[in-house]
Amino acid sequence: MNLIRSELMKIRTTNVWWLFGIGVLVFTALSVTLWIFAGNQLIDDASSNAVFQPPPPEFEMSPEQLAEAQRQFELQHDISRVLSGAAAQIYTSGQFFGLLFVSLLGVILVTNEYYHQTATATFLTTPQRTKVILAKLGTASLAALIFWVGTTAISGIAGSIFFSSKGYSSQLGEWPVTRAVLMNGLAYGLWGILGVGLGVLIRNQIGAVITVAAGYLLGTYVVQIAAFLASQLFKSDWVQKASVIWPSVASEAMVSTEPIFSNPPPWWVGALILIGWGLVLGLVGTLITRKRDIA
Amino acid sequence: MTLTEDGQIVVSGLTKHYGKVKAVDDLSFAVRSGRVTGFLGPNGAGKTTTLRMILNLVTPTSGTATIGGQRYSDFPHPVRQVGAILEASAAHKGRTGRNHLRIMCAAAGLPLSRADEALELVGLTPAAKRKFRGYSLGMRQRLGIASAMLGDPKALILDEPANGLDPEGIRWMRDLLRKFAGEGRTVLVSSHLLSEMELLADDIVIIANGKLVKQGPVETIVNGISQAERVRVRTPDADKLAQALAGKATVTQENGVLLVTGIGAPAVGEAALRAGVVLHELVEERPDLEQVFLELTAGKAGIR
Repeated sequence: MNLIRSELMKIRTTNVWWLFGIGVLVFTALSVTLWIFAGNQLIDDASSNAVFQPPPPEFEMSPEQLAEAQRQFELQHDISRVLSGAAAQIYTSGQFFGLLFVSLLGVILVTNEYYHQTATATFLTTPQRTKVILAKLGTASLAALIFWVGTTAISGIAGSIFFSSKGYSSQLGEWPVTRAVLMNGLAYGLWGILGVGLGVLIRNQIGAVITVAAGYLLGTYVVQIAAFLASQLFKSDWVQKASVIWPSVASEAMVSTEPIFSNPPPWWVGALILIGWGLVLGLVGTLITRKRDIA
Repeated sequence: MTLTEDGQIVVSGLTKHYGKVKAVDDLSFAVRSGRVTGFLGPNGAGKTTTLRMILNLVTPTSGTATIGGQRYSDFPHPVRQVGAILEASAAHKGRTGRNHLRIMCAAAGLPLSRADEALELVGLTPAAKRKFRGYSLGMRQRLGIASAMLGDPKALILDEPANGLDPEGIRWMRDLLRKFAGEGRTVLVSSHLLSEMELLADDIVIIANGKLVKQGPVETIVNGISQAERVRVRTPDADKLAQALAGKATVTQENGVLLVTGIGAPAVGEAALRAGVVLHELVEERPDLEQVFLELTAGKAGIR
């Protein structure tokens, strides 16, 4: 407990936390606005009285294609499904950048010790290094959860106002929506842990920050595009499903009520994979720190 | 002595290899409480590595180091047993000195008010709420000492604490450490500034190339090494006196001053009288620590 208090003080007594806080809040506000606009469109479409019109004969659709088109149409006009999908998106707004900032916070919590040579003071005060790393893991996920509470408060208020203006309930009581919000919190906590683990692996602060940011921002697209191309090439979609092992894809899968690609991995696969990453990186980080000479 | 042998530091068979380089090689020595012990050696002798092994920051290849009979990593609250200063620039640059200490207090389970007391002790209260970035080297050293004093420890370990201090700061540090030892605590100070150690230390431990060269009280080491006493003679008739002494002693001339080894000052005086040479100065020079040190570590300061 003393150690977590000490680590929280480390975060609080420098500028990083509020700079990151502002960053996360701005991105959350932007993305909540976008998702509300998108959700508005989807809900309007779904609640219109349109009926399925078979396409004109010149499209020459097979009966299977016709059935598939009708199924898609019905999905888009299933109002309760559209509502909960939109609600999950809105209430987890800002996740993409939020997770990046939270993992960077974890990275900095470790690399600062080397960058500013405070590792000496830290390990002199607490020579039991495992405890120090555990405190950092706990502190990073705690700070991450605070970010989650903040972003969820913004999107929760904005979203509730939006839904009531459309004449619907806030949707927060719907299990898929509640689940998405909770899973979002789990994702925040786990990304804080991933950050600490990566910070131990890459001691150089600038190197670690660049690696995490690039791996997160570019890596996500590279992995998704590669998985898509591979699935086209091999004519099977398990390759595409496998892209969920990449942590940022896993966290997207966790919060979606919808498939993020065809035949989706269920949300709990995403959660398990991310927990696995957190455990592996947290463990590796602890073992390395126990052995490392502080010079 | 109030604290008896509580904080005695014992190093035994301590060894650290970095690849093929033996930074510290089977080093053993003891540091007594109630005294200031100087830890001397040329640059690269392994002083810092040894201190970091005592403090569990560097894992020894073999051997042990204990403080008051316990290894550093076994102390539940090490800050209350040992205070250490290892480098001056060791705080987050965007954090205030006071917050730096408060963070340590929190981790050590000490009341946060200890931070202010320690700042007061080292005279840093006016700069308490300034960011570390703006601290001068002397202020950084003082902050380091404040952090070492947080837990009111029984032993102090300092690595080159005089580095970068002005003469006034050095004097302040010397008084502080003497006072600390006077209260019965253990003080181990590494340095390559020998003149400083001669004024400060009661005991010295000299290492070179990672190996122990000599340990013991300062006087014993200084006296024990160089039996060859040196007599310094100033005379207007240097050549004549040098001739008179030839055969009895070794004489070297330096800027009109004769340095005589092999015989004592009375013998030099007698010889001068017989030769009819006027003396302006006749002094027996005791070897200082610097000479002893150079003698002991000569040729051992290999480049690493």
